[in-house]
Amino acid sequence: MTAPNTNCRGPVPFSATGRRAFLQTGLAGFASLSLPGILKLRSHAASSAEAEKKAVIMVWQPGGLSHIDSYDPKPDSGSEYAGPFKPIATKVPGLRFTELLPRQAAIADKMVVLRSMRQSAGGHPAGSMQLLSGDPDTRDKPKPKYPDWMAVSNYMLAQRGPRKNPLPSYVGINPPLEYNGPAYLGDTYSPFVVSGNPNAPTFSVPNIGLTDADEVARLGRRASLRQKIDTLDRSFDHARELGALDEFESQAMGLLTSPQTKVAFDLNREPSRVRDRYGRNAWGQQLLLARRLVEAGVDVLTTSLSGPLCGRVNNWDDHAVNHNVFEAMKFRAQVYDQAVSALIEDIYARGLDKRVLVVVTGEFGRTPKISYAASTGGGDASAPAGTSQPGRDHWPRGFSNIWAGGGINAGRFVGATDKRGEDAIERVSGPGDFLATIYHHLGIDYGTTFIKDFNGRPTPIVDHGKAIPELIG
Amino acid sequence: MLSETSHSRQSVAHWFRVVCLAFSWSLVGPAGSTHAAERPISFANDVVPVLTKSGCNMGTCHAKAGGGRNGFQLSLLGFEPDEDFEHIVLEGRGRRVSFGNPDQSLLLLKAAGQLPHGGGLRLAKSSPGYGVIREWIRQGTPVDVVTSPKLVSLEIEPKKGLLRVRASQQLKAIARYSDGSVRDVTDTALFESNDKAMADVSEGGLVKVFDLPGKVSVMVRYQGRVAVFNAAIPLGAAVGTLPPVKNFVDTAVFANLKELGIPPSPVCDDATFLRRVSLDIAGRLPTEAEAKAFLADTSADKRDKWIDELLRSPDYADFFASKWTAVLKNRRDDASDIVSNFAFHAWVRDSLLANKPYDQFVRELLGATGTVIGNPPVAWYKRVKQPKDQIEDVAQLFLGVRMQCAQCHHHPFERWSQDDYYSLAAFFAQVGRKPSGTRDEDLIFHKRGTATATNIKTREALKPMALGDEVPAISPDEDPRLRLADWMRSPKNPFFAKVLVNRYWKHFFQRGLIEPEDDIRDSNPPSNPDLLAALEKHFIDSRFDLKELVRAITRSNAYQLSATPNKDNVSDRQNYSRYYPRRLPAEVMLDAIDQLAGTQTDFPNLPPGTRAVALPDNSYNRSSPFLRVFGRPEGESVCECERVQSSNLAQSLHMINASDIRSKLASPNGRAERLAVDTRPAGERVKELYRVAFAREPRPDELKAALDYLTEPRVNAAGQKLDAPRAARENFRDLIWAIMTTKEFLFNH
Repeated sequence: MTAPNTNCRGPVPFSATGRRAFLQTGLAGFASLSLPGILKLRSHAASSAEAEKKAVIMVWQPGGLSHIDSYDPKPDSGSEYAGPFKPIATKVPGLRFTELLPRQAAIADKMVVLRSMRQSAGGHPAGSMQLLSGDPDTRDKPKPKYPDWMAVSNYMLAQRGPRKNPLPSYVGINPPLEYNGPAYLGDTYSPFVVSGNPNAPTFSVPNIGLTDADEVARLGRRASLRQKIDTLDRSFDHARELGALDEFESQAMGLLTSPQTKVAFDLNREPSRVRDRYGRNAWGQQLLLARRLVEAGVDVLTTSLSGPLCGRVNNWDDHAVNHNVFEAMKFRAQVYDQAVSALIEDIYARGLDKRVLVVVTGEFGRTPKISYAASTGGGDASAPAGTSQPGRDHWPRGFSNIWAGGGINAGRFVGATDKRGEDAIERVSGPGDFLATIYHHLGIDYGTTFIKDFNGRPTPIVDHGKAIPELIG
Repeated sequence: MLSETSHSRQSVAHWFRVVCLAFSWSLVGPAGSTHAAERPISFANDVVPVLTKSGCNMGTCHAKAGGGRNGFQLSLLGFEPDEDFEHIVLEGRGRRVSFGNPDQSLLLLKAAGQLPHGGGLRLAKSSPGYGVIREWIRQGTPVDVVTSPKLVSLEIEPKKGLLRVRASQQLKAIARYSDGSVRDVTDTALFESNDKAMADVSEGGLVKVFDLPGKVSVMVRYQGRVAVFNAAIPLGAAVGTLPPVKNFVDTAVFANLKELGIPPSPVCDDATFLRRVSLDIAGRLPTEAEAKAFLADTSADKRDKWIDELLRSPDYADFFASKWTAVLKNRRDDASDIVSNFAFHAWVRDSLLANKPYDQFVRELLGATGTVIGNPPVAWYKRVKQPKDQIEDVAQLFLGVRMQCAQCHHHPFERWSQDDYYSLAAFFAQVGRKPSGTRDEDLIFHKRGTATATNIKTREALKPMALGDEVPAISPDEDPRLRLADWMRSPKNPFFAKVLVNRYWKHFFQRGLIEPEDDIRDSNPPSNPDLLAALEKHFIDSRFDLKELVRAITRSNAYQLSATPNKDNVSDRQNYSRYYPRRLPAEVMLDAIDQLAGTQTDFPNLPPGTRAVALPDNSYNRSSPFLRVFGRPEGESVCECERVQSSNLAQSLHMINASDIRSKLASPNGRAERLAVDTRPAGERVKELYRVAFAREPRPDELKAALDYLTEPRVNAAGQKLDAPRAARENFRDLIWAIMTTKEFLFNH
């Protein structure tokens, strides 16, 4: 039993030793090492707890990927259902993708395809909340009631003790936050957000490694001036609030001025061929940046594949009014296939496949039955306004997500939908299982962890669900 | 509540030991017969307590909502023994109990870890608890839920105590039954300390006090009953001369400090008082002119006068309206909410400005009828639509009672049952709604009829009853909500005034006399009951006068103590022997930064110069990243805890590097620009900054540090010297930044 009166506020995640530890590794230690030096240090420390630290990259398809046209083809379901894409063999016997995903097919032995994900909300907000926070509510609401798994993980990892790495624990590169967030955990557990197109020449990450030498010098001057005049008698600080503030300030200064954090975010440090392999476009470089950050010590990383690469409406919401679903799938397939296959391949090539779990999913799939409607506007993957075109609508009853790394026994597929791809019928998995699988990888005890909400009610981080056995390392 | 993470598995071994040592009444206890095997085991009074003590029926285990664990459901903490009997004996295809061979019962095999069990080992085969269940099965699982003697009271011995730091105290739990029997249930009762930093209690009821002075309580729970042991832990230091007693607040605070032997810090200086009270009452820094005038004023009652001045100012209403509108959920979910949100905010603010009696304010809110435009408190019914949410919000906000639990099960450590929940909900059963002509806005009216609400479990239709208090019959024409409001405002109501004075006390002292401030229950006693009672009485006697309450609190010397601890009171966290500093709330901080930087923040659709504390709803958190990052609430919860006042990385980054902070510092109309071209001596300009930021003059060392900085030569990265005007501008920006990021600025202290 725990104290009944510690409701609402999470503990301050940094302890008295945290700052010292940070200063040692963060400045004195970390700062004096080159990146190869850091990598060497990491490999030397392979057996240490730090090296064992698990991480998750979630790649999000906002709006929902058509499972039929990608990972769960149903070529024999008839013209009202099956799309135009031919199934192709993959490296895994019996597993077929559509022809849109040749590169992933070639590395299917490095992933597990879960074809039987099911949730019960048909709207984007409720669907996202179900999958990412486990909220069973089927109605769309403006704000999440429960924290998403990313915020929960950030919170739980912070409970383990002071963070030694100068990088934030949770980073979102164009993160899927439209419908989700930390809810009652508070903004302290929101991600450090990187937005924009990492492939753009002008791309820069605010609040990371300032380049202007004048600015850096000035910050240093300001900080030392502040130190001189920041003389409030600290003896009252029994709750260590001031100490915590100091920790965050030095962490912030570290992010801003340490060349090493800049290095972690700097894609130009990657060899050209690696950048090419991921694809010289927003999605490719987002996933490369994700890999880079996780390698440098970020624990939770989410990134949303959105924007013009999706087609006219900038997401995967391929209703006929928005996109011609098949044109849209073709339009984005090459970039998507290249980026995702590169990330998975790279995770294995760099020996991160035990430590880092990669999950690729959207909030739901798309209706197996094709619907036709008039386009509301012309553009990429959409015919001019008024033209009838095929689309697929929201489909939470059965859809696919893919999993890689995380020490899982890759090269197989789990579960199945029925013959038209409508209902998950084998090894049906729900949001609780999805969340439990991720928490399990991060070493978070999802069965017995309860977090108090605003009312002080202990709320389980997974209400119903178990880690999916085939997806745990 | 229940265990936040896992059950305390590490303590299982300990509990075996305790139980083994003290295997008491169930076999040879004072009420029982002389021989174990002959005494019939009671399911309700013997078996269920074992399940509870072993943690089987915790909310995190088999009492988990929606089916328990692995298909085995128990009622939370054994509140429903008849259901538990069914689950254990009748379900599970009878495998849970084996009459022929009790040891082969699934219930025992799992609990004793003979079969894999998700909850681990809960009851060793050798434990008395195991013996009780085994014997009950052997006797043929007799069920006596109806016939067994009923538990009529639970007592704790001793009820209170004076404990030295690091001392121990063994507690005893005594149960009295309807047949007159009395049993020592220490070994099967659950104990819990309300402040684990002050005292811990073992499973066997042994209290160990740590080294923090103050009041701590230990709750004992047994079969739905609760009793509380209150301990005072004196520090025992010499208290010496106390500050003068200005009013009843001081009487009660100082008496408590004397009793505990905690010497208070001295009364703070004028500058500290001025800044503190202005921030706490009006949510703003004193202006430079106010600071100058106040420091120069030599009259003896200048502090009291300044308090009155603040209470008269619209800033008071703005600041407290921002507090109330957040917990009343004045939230913009849709752009069209703007009209009702503005109207509701204006109603709250105007009520505060006019000092509308609090009971009247609550009555107008609860009993609101009509449309938002005609009667703005109706907007609350737009936000809080379901009767269930209405009673939960009302109970927590205005009664300090958290009823949420009782919707689905008996409150785990309170007397509230599901009947209490639904009979409170019945007050809202006749809230009628019809379209008002405005989208998403209903016209609210009293729907003629007899109010009842149905207990979801018993299916019984319940009449309105106010937390156990009968209310006289309500005629179908009468709005039951007004009857609830009448019940609340009665001087005898034990909740209504108490939760308000405690909420306000916390506003000024950072810590409620009861914590959390809206969780009033017997098992969560106040740290200073006399003070709470005195505040309550004062508030009721003043006819619920909010300004008078603020006046009484802030005039006290207790409120005006210095934050700097002395050698004895440094560890005091709950007796108010010194002021406990706290970071400024988001809106107040933004306004304070603007005041210091000589700038203003523009908010969409509001007149330029609108202060952040005067913002009507949460929508501005989107346009102002500052407010969001620094934890301005979104109006999601009735709990003030939604407001975050702890620090985080994003806040630090924001202060160092965010564009809004940068542009405030660099504003052409800002203070840095003005001071850079000001022709007064540099020292005068530095003093201005200190008076604005801290309501005081700089100390010599501070003045020197600032002047040194202002006169250092400035060069750019290339080593070229900056021209004098530019250097001056940059220097003042730096100095303002440095001041606004000091703890002294960011905290009220």
